[in-house]
Amino acid sequence: MKIQRKKNIKQKRSKKPLKREKSNNGGSFRLEKLVADLGKTGKDLREKIQQQAVQLRNINLQLKDGADKQLKSDEKIHKQNGELKNGADKQLKSNERIQKQNGELKNGVDKQLRSDEHIQRQNGELKNGADKQLKSNEQIRKQAAELKNKKGQLKNEVSKQLKAEEQIHIRTKAMEATVDGIFIIDAQEPDFPVIYVNQAFQKMTGYSKTEIVGKNYFSFYGDASDQRVISEIKNNLLQDKVFHGEMLSFQKNGKKCLILLRIAPVHGTHGIVTHYVGLQTDVTLMREKEREIEDQREELLHVTRVGKLAEFVSSLAHEISQPLTAILSYAQAAKRMLGSKDPEISRILSYIVSDDQRAADVIHRMRSLLKKNRPEMKPLNINNLINDTIVLITTDANVRRTILKLELEKDLPLVCGDRIQLQQVFLNLISNSFDAMERNVELREILISTAHKETGMIIVSVKDSGSGIASQNIPKIFTHFFTNKPDGLGMGLSISRSIIESHGGQLNAKNNPDRGATFYFTIPVEPKTS
Amino acid sequence: MRNHKPVIYVVDDEASICRAVALLLKSHGYKVEIFSSAESFLAFKHLKLPSCVVLDIRLTNMSGLALQDAMAVRKLDIPIIFITGHGDIPMSVKAMKAGAIDFLPKPFTAKKLLNAITFALTKNVIQIKELAEISKINRLIKTLTPRELEVFRFVARGLMNKEIAQKRGTSLQTIKVHRGRVMRKMQAKTVTELILLAKKADINPSKN
Repeated sequence: MKIQRKKNIKQKRSKKPLKREKSNNGGSFRLEKLVADLGKTGKDLREKIQQQAVQLRNINLQLKDGADKQLKSDEKIHKQNGELKNGADKQLKSNERIQKQNGELKNGVDKQLRSDEHIQRQNGELKNGADKQLKSNEQIRKQAAELKNKKGQLKNEVSKQLKAEEQIHIRTKAMEATVDGIFIIDAQEPDFPVIYVNQAFQKMTGYSKTEIVGKNYFSFYGDASDQRVISEIKNNLLQDKVFHGEMLSFQKNGKKCLILLRIAPVHGTHGIVTHYVGLQTDVTLMREKEREIEDQREELLHVTRVGKLAEFVSSLAHEISQPLTAILSYAQAAKRMLGSKDPEISRILSYIVSDDQRAADVIHRMRSLLKKNRPEMKPLNINNLINDTIVLITTDANVRRTILKLELEKDLPLVCGDRIQLQQVFLNLISNSFDAMERNVELREILISTAHKETGMIIVSVKDSGSGIASQNIPKIFTHFFTNKPDGLGMGLSISRSIIESHGGQLNAKNNPDRGATFYFTIPVEPKTS
Repeated sequence: MRNHKPVIYVVDDEASICRAVALLLKSHGYKVEIFSSAESFLAFKHLKLPSCVVLDIRLTNMSGLALQDAMAVRKLDIPIIFITGHGDIPMSVKAMKAGAIDFLPKPFTAKKLLNAITFALTKNVIQIKELAEISKINRLIKTLTPRELEVFRFVARGLMNKEIAQKRGTSLQTIKVHRGRVMRKMQAKTVTELILLAKKADINPSKN
């Protein structure tokens, strides 16, 4: 339709200039000519217009043709559109149908599900039923088992009863057989009556069971026993506390007996103390033995102290006697040279001589006052001597967390020596080792060994894991007054060496390759036994 | 041989003692040599004069007792007087058993020291005399022929001429001649004298 309108406009335009030229034609010849020209021009114009019209018509035709074609194609498009629309409609319709079908399917599935549920429910119900059946079966079984159990329990009960009786029997027997005294006191009676004692208790006190049971426990300590300890025990017990202590008691026959006592309260079902149970051990012999060891230690320490003092005085005497000797000789030489010439100088020199001798006498007296005991040389077994000495220092070793290891060669021949002096040497070496290991954090070990050498000597060595000896000090450690210890006199090793030398042996020291030092001495085997 | 004064050796590691004892002994007319150690004493070329040693038991290195042993090994026969500031009984017993003259604890008086020295020197003079005699006898023995030495040994054992002749399987006359030569060479006037010489020289009569 747009193309048609265009054509109309073009037609209007071509008519307008034609009208204007017509109005301009007027006048004479010129006019004629003009008219002729005009005619001619008009003719031309007409022709041209006709041509143009033809052309226009052609164009029009062409346009019309194009428009027709356009129309046709539009129509086709329209048709196609229609077809498409149709197709889409069909599609929609089919979609709808599919939706519908889907809905139907869903419906069907829902139904299916519902029916499944139903089946499940039915299954569950079936199962439930079966379970119930099973349960009831089980119950029957259980009941049967229970019945069986009860039968067993009854049987068990009987055997338990028997076992309990057996256990009570064993316990009673064991209590009777215990080497410590056991006693039980009734706590609910006022006077601490004994309700049970074992054999050992009777033996320890000297009273028989019939004499003891029912009587006050504390009466069996004897009249002379310490009342303060007894009231302390009573106080402890009345406060439900355990008592632990030692006391001197007296047996029926009056004999002294040192007992180690432990008493504890026994609580009944309601937490009330119903009984007291006690253990008592006779420690008389043990304490005696300990005191003996202590005495021996003391004696040895005393001997060592005296020995040190004697050695000290002796070396002091030596140091002083040197200049005194020189002074004496100088004075006597001078007297000899000058005395005959001047009696005054001679007298002065005599005074010097006599005072020098006075000083010498003082030293001599001091020395004889502290004279070392003459050694008592007897044949002795060095291994026994070591074992005896170890007993004296075990406590010390424990306190210092030191392990003492022994490697003693068996069947050593006897040596001839003074027991106390050799013990003194041995103790001195061990106590040095203790001191040397004072700073050790972990390993504290002393190895004591003996061996019989073919040269007729027994070698005793004391090896420690301590700080060792500074190499420049090795030649000095055996000399008087040499010490590394702040409170040391520097006498121990020099005395030890002189003791060993007086026994015909040698005392030496060396550093171990790893750590610590070893002190070792030799002592000759007694001729008769070698 | 110009100086016949006896010589006293003083061995002590304490210088003042050496000096003082030396002074004292010199004031009594002795010749004195002092040593500060056992080693320096052993290294010394000892004079052939009556002498003795005043020896400290404790010395820095080699002890007095060890020196006594060393002297015995070297046959250095000089009497020893021990002095000590630290003497104990076992030590003194050991020293005396090994032939020491005396054992003087320090400080000692001049009198004690001089007495000990006099005794030691007397002993040493006898020792020297005996030594001289023995070396003379040994010198004479060396002049004997092997056969004469053999006869000398038999005589020393106390055998009669006849017995010797029997043992040797020679005639009595031959033995008599040998014995005469031995007595002449040994400068013995009697058989008893000859036997005494044999004893002093310690020739082993049981040999052969």
